[in-house]
Amino acid sequence: MKQNRFMLVLGLLVVASMVLAACQPGPVATPEVIIETVEREAYTTPHPILSDVRVRQAMAYCTNKLELVQSVYPLAPEAQQQELVLNTMMRGGHWAYAGDENITIYPFDPAAGAALLDEAGWTLAEGATVRSNADGETLNIKFTTTTAAFRQTWAAVWEQQMEACGIDILRLHVPASWWFGDTTGLARRDFELGAFAWVGQVDPGGVTLYSCDQIPSPANGWEGQNYMGWCNEAASTAVKNANNTLILQERIDNYKILQAEFTKDVPSIPLFNRTETFAAVAGLTGFEPISGQEYYLYDVGKWELPGQDTIVLGFTQEPASLFGLVEDAFVAQLALYMVLPGAITTKNYDFQAVYIQDFATIENGGSVLNEVEVKAGDTVVDANGDVVTLEAGMSVKNFAGEIVEFTGDPIKMQQLVSTFKYIDGITWEDGVPLSSADFALSQKIACDPESGATSFYVCDRTAGVVFLTDAVGYTHSWLPGYTDPLYFTPIWGTYPAHRVLADGRVLADVPAVEWATLPEISEQPIGWGPYKLVEWVKGEKLVYEANPYWVFGAPKTPNFVIQIITAESAEALLLGGEVDVLASETLAGLSQTLADAEAAGTIKTWSIAGGTWEHIDISLFIR
Amino acid sequence: MSANMKVAELTGEEITIQERTPFQIVMMRFRKHRLAMAALVVITLIFMLTLFAPYLANFEVTEISVGDYFLPFGAVDEDTGRVHYLGTDNIGRDYFSRLIFAGRVSLTVALISVLISETTGVIIGAISGYYGGALDNVLMRFVEFMLTIPSLPLLLIISSMLLANEDLIPIPAIVLNTFGKIMLLNPRDTRSAVLIIMVLAGFGWLGSAQLMRGMVLQIKQQTFVEAARSLGASNTWIIFKHMIPNAMAPIIVSASLGLAGYVVAEAALAFLGFGIQDPVPTWGNMLSATQTFMMDKPWLPLVPGLPIFICSLSFNYIGDGLRDALDPRLKM
Amino acid sequence: MVAYLVRRVLQMILVVFISAIASFALLSLAPGGPLAGLRQTPATSRFYISAEDIARIRTKYDLDLTIPVRFTRWLIGVPRGPLVINGKEYFGDLVVGCRQPIEEEFLNDRGKYETRVTGCSEIVYLRDLTGRSASRGILLGDFGVSWRLLRDRPVSDLIVSRLPKTLQLIGLETLFSILIGVPLGIYSAVKQYSKFDYFFTSLAFMGSAMPTFFFGILMILAFSILPRNAGLPYLPPGLSESVRDYTIPLLGTITAGSASDRVLHLILPVSVLTLVNVAFWSRYIRSSMLEVLRQDYVRTARAKGLRENVVIMKHALRNGLIPFVTIVVFTLPGLFSGAIITESIFSWPGMGRLYLLALGDSDYPVAMAVFFIIAVLTVIATLLRDILYTVVDPRIRLK
Repeated sequence: MKQNRFMLVLGLLVVASMVLAACQPGPVATPEVIIETVEREAYTTPHPILSDVRVRQAMAYCTNKLELVQSVYPLAPEAQQQELVLNTMMRGGHWAYAGDENITIYPFDPAAGAALLDEAGWTLAEGATVRSNADGETLNIKFTTTTAAFRQTWAAVWEQQMEACGIDILRLHVPASWWFGDTTGLARRDFELGAFAWVGQVDPGGVTLYSCDQIPSPANGWEGQNYMGWCNEAASTAVKNANNTLILQERIDNYKILQAEFTKDVPSIPLFNRTETFAAVAGLTGFEPISGQEYYLYDVGKWELPGQDTIVLGFTQEPASLFGLVEDAFVAQLALYMVLPGAITTKNYDFQAVYIQDFATIENGGSVLNEVEVKAGDTVVDANGDVVTLEAGMSVKNFAGEIVEFTGDPIKMQQLVSTFKYIDGITWEDGVPLSSADFALSQKIACDPESGATSFYVCDRTAGVVFLTDAVGYTHSWLPGYTDPLYFTPIWGTYPAHRVLADGRVLADVPAVEWATLPEISEQPIGWGPYKLVEWVKGEKLVYEANPYWVFGAPKTPNFVIQIITAESAEALLLGGEVDVLASETLAGLSQTLADAEAAGTIKTWSIAGGTWEHIDISLFIR
Repeated sequence: MSANMKVAELTGEEITIQERTPFQIVMMRFRKHRLAMAALVVITLIFMLTLFAPYLANFEVTEISVGDYFLPFGAVDEDTGRVHYLGTDNIGRDYFSRLIFAGRVSLTVALISVLISETTGVIIGAISGYYGGALDNVLMRFVEFMLTIPSLPLLLIISSMLLANEDLIPIPAIVLNTFGKIMLLNPRDTRSAVLIIMVLAGFGWLGSAQLMRGMVLQIKQQTFVEAARSLGASNTWIIFKHMIPNAMAPIIVSASLGLAGYVVAEAALAFLGFGIQDPVPTWGNMLSATQTFMMDKPWLPLVPGLPIFICSLSFNYIGDGLRDALDPRLKM
Repeated sequence: MVAYLVRRVLQMILVVFISAIASFALLSLAPGGPLAGLRQTPATSRFYISAEDIARIRTKYDLDLTIPVRFTRWLIGVPRGPLVINGKEYFGDLVVGCRQPIEEEFLNDRGKYETRVTGCSEIVYLRDLTGRSASRGILLGDFGVSWRLLRDRPVSDLIVSRLPKTLQLIGLETLFSILIGVPLGIYSAVKQYSKFDYFFTSLAFMGSAMPTFFFGILMILAFSILPRNAGLPYLPPGLSESVRDYTIPLLGTITAGSASDRVLHLILPVSVLTLVNVAFWSRYIRSSMLEVLRQDYVRTARAKGLRENVVIMKHALRNGLIPFVTIVVFTLPGLFSGAIITESIFSWPGMGRLYLLALGDSDYPVAMAVFFIIAVLTVIATLLRDILYTVVDPRIRLK
């Protein structure tokens, strides 16, 4: 009986609480944003809220970037956290950075943000937490980003910051395959506010991001990366000019204009640079990650671990193919770098010549600007950077560097010709010396549409290539009118033209269409780098051993293994001694576990400011 | 009742065995299972915690205390004097408040999924097994077909479709509002929870349908069914009065394991990135968001991990107790 | 019986076919694909993706074709071009896809804009398929080429590389969990409500209640990281074998890749999976045994004075095994599909991880191959189950 009563009480309690719960004031229903339907095309109708520059500036003022950095990199020293914060699309120390005085900086200032919002007509009613305008519409904005834990963290903090300013953020974390898909998400500008990162580049570039003709739309086949739909003529011209000249000062001046306009218009809120975190077992020498490096493997030949003849590097993603033309994922580039390194590398955002004798600069005579006469019907690059068949009415850059209209009469234009000579003694891992034929093969395959290469941008702008006979290298002639800010860096790679395949053919004779599936290219490439690939156990590891023919002598460690691991187990495997090195593509940031292990002396970590930067794009038009 | 007591001396009340309703019998049997009783108490407590979440939580779910990352249990918010009973998470949100609100979502998802999937499974399994023939064939082939449909991509596709166009999969407003009220979410956030329920239940009924069919096939051969049929009982009567009650025990076990399983499944989906996403707190996404701190701040994943574990455990026990209690052949 | 089997096999083929169509359609609608992320590759002075580049890559992966055409090319490798009879082409003008769709914006009735394809500026005809590379069709064992995980190379290479590891892991796990779970279940049923029953019931419940990834990380911490740091014997924290030789206290030096190395690496993941799944088996067995133990014929057997062992083993077990049979055959597709979470936690290079990667990276030919094989195995398991029903319970007749 006693138990019966107990059951009764229990039951009553449950019922009572359910009733209570049902009677509770429900959550505040979020009113839908009502978009006025006007008879205009999508992508050209200004966004009812975000097209107002005051709202965008207010959001910039309400954003506490340092706090976002702190939320994702809590263990970074204060100074580094400060350093990561971005005011424009360039980091502070970059050569193209306009300088604090030349851009509009939006410090964290909620009061300034609130004032701008009031001015824009979004006021905070008595007792309300969300601003509304005269029509009674509330300030709700959709914010889309990926499901990555890193972004969930800072997005939650940012949502709170916006809330403090009376902006209601509807946060959506979506699968990356949708967000970065070919016909979904970002590519179709299907967002109001959208966050993602641009991977850092040595050269600032930016033409596809900020110029008017790079706004993806149905009309242009969704070409371009100006997802904001930001068209500012001054900025657009400046970014084009900055990338259409070889004179550094001219580039700096143009980037200055771009940044001034960019920070004034706020089509996108730059947030912070990501850090690159590396961790290695204590005692590993020769491994020195530095800021502005292209590949942390740049000195892999000097890596050494006392008492071990093998170094194990952990990768959380397996390379899909070692055929660089079809696969350009960073892990694939790294795995290939071991056997077939690039001729140059970068450190501290600066180019280093490794396997070439020197950069082909104009100053040292490696490159020349020839004066060529062009006439109607010739293929040239016009003032906009497009490859055209010249006819009257087109605007081109003449030899003097002025933009002129082509009238039909022959005109003198600039033609850039660069010669790249490799250092002596480079030998393939099978003992055959590197020859100019290897470059010829590389150029042939890269420009063959059957090879599966993704972009033919360089091929389309090539006038001709001459392969040297007196040295190992080539002379490359661009189309008249083409200027590449990175003209002094090598263009073509190498393939072992002499290599005999398993089926008896010589590599140079294999048609391009077969290359992607060729095991000798995609899985077992040979090279002339510090290591040679011995075996690729799919899903598990890539096994390398020292290349005795390496031009800089034998690497210090005879064996090297790239072990494929999962992100979930990465730290455990490092601490468990199964892998020796974890790099930035694996580690999202410095964790307490790693910091503790470093304090205990079992590992060493590096955290450096990287070039990849997080930002929030603002869609200026409705979708 | 001593042995020398004469029957004639007993009152009518004493010789009549007290009549018990089936419910009383079930309850009596259930109470014999001590662990199940304990589990029921625990589950009730957890339910109450989540039901009264708005009154118990002293912080808002999305409220971030700037800089107060990883506060220990019982830390006091300096500005307002409120207590972080379970400390704060990696971005300074009150862990206790989030936990109880998350429980509401997680438990609702599990309960509703199990309700839908078991009801569907039992009815379809029973019909299929009882009628046999072409109907059985069609239904079972359909179950097989469904079993071959991969659930993860389905989730991925449905959620991306919803992103592109919220109205593509119409969810009646009443469903959104009701569920929203239960889970204390606004209708927009409820969408993703309803989606998960749809997928969990949509694939969950297959197992119980097959199980039910197997049981019915077995029971169908037994004499009492033939007896009922010869007495002129209708098919519906036989299914609902004989088949389903007699096959209920394994279904109860599967439902209890299912309930436990759905709580865990929600967490697993969150771990794989296909679950309910962050602005909506669930035990699963709290756990997966903090699993990176497993090695150095183990309490962070432990706090949401524990209720998942306890609830799952309790549902198992309760199912176990119910199984015994509901068994029609078990004599007291 | 033979007629039944023939009918069932025919139905099976139909189920697999419909399921293949459904999965294929599902994945065709899924976002991502071989071009995912390509448009977000920052352009440089040497790299630029134009609309033409996108169209070319779409063509390379058959994405310019309509879904039914893609499906038949995937399933049986046709059409590969127009029908040629006696040197004469037929159906060459059949429209099979569109290389460059014309898209326009429309305002829909809900007041939102949507992009609709209104035409095609470059139609793909059947004759354009001549010479285009295509798989021989999945029915002939050609799973096509991978889009991303093993770019442009056969999907079968990927599956072959992962399958043995998964068979090892799941095979051992299934074996152990049945070997442990079934006796536990029987014993628990026979000794219902004993201390033993309570103890193992609780243990089994705990196993299933623990989220695998949580449990897995806990195990790594408890049996690998902490003992290693403390200088005690430890187990490898993950991977299927080591790269280098290593020394474990008391066990000595383990040679990388040796049998003992592999066994050591198997212990943790197999244990985690087993602990989680033992609950499943023992619960089912216990429940169905309890059912049977209360049947009249069991009581009769007992009343006849048969020994309890004989009663349980000869009379009860056989009927108690019916639910077991329904479940045990379904380990067959599981053997192939692997364990997604456990494989991730322990860096196990198996099918589960492959499947997850294929979905995450939107490598749909790989995902499709996995689905197809699992679908086939699932229907085979179902048939097997129905046949086994008649073996364990002769009262059930297959008609």
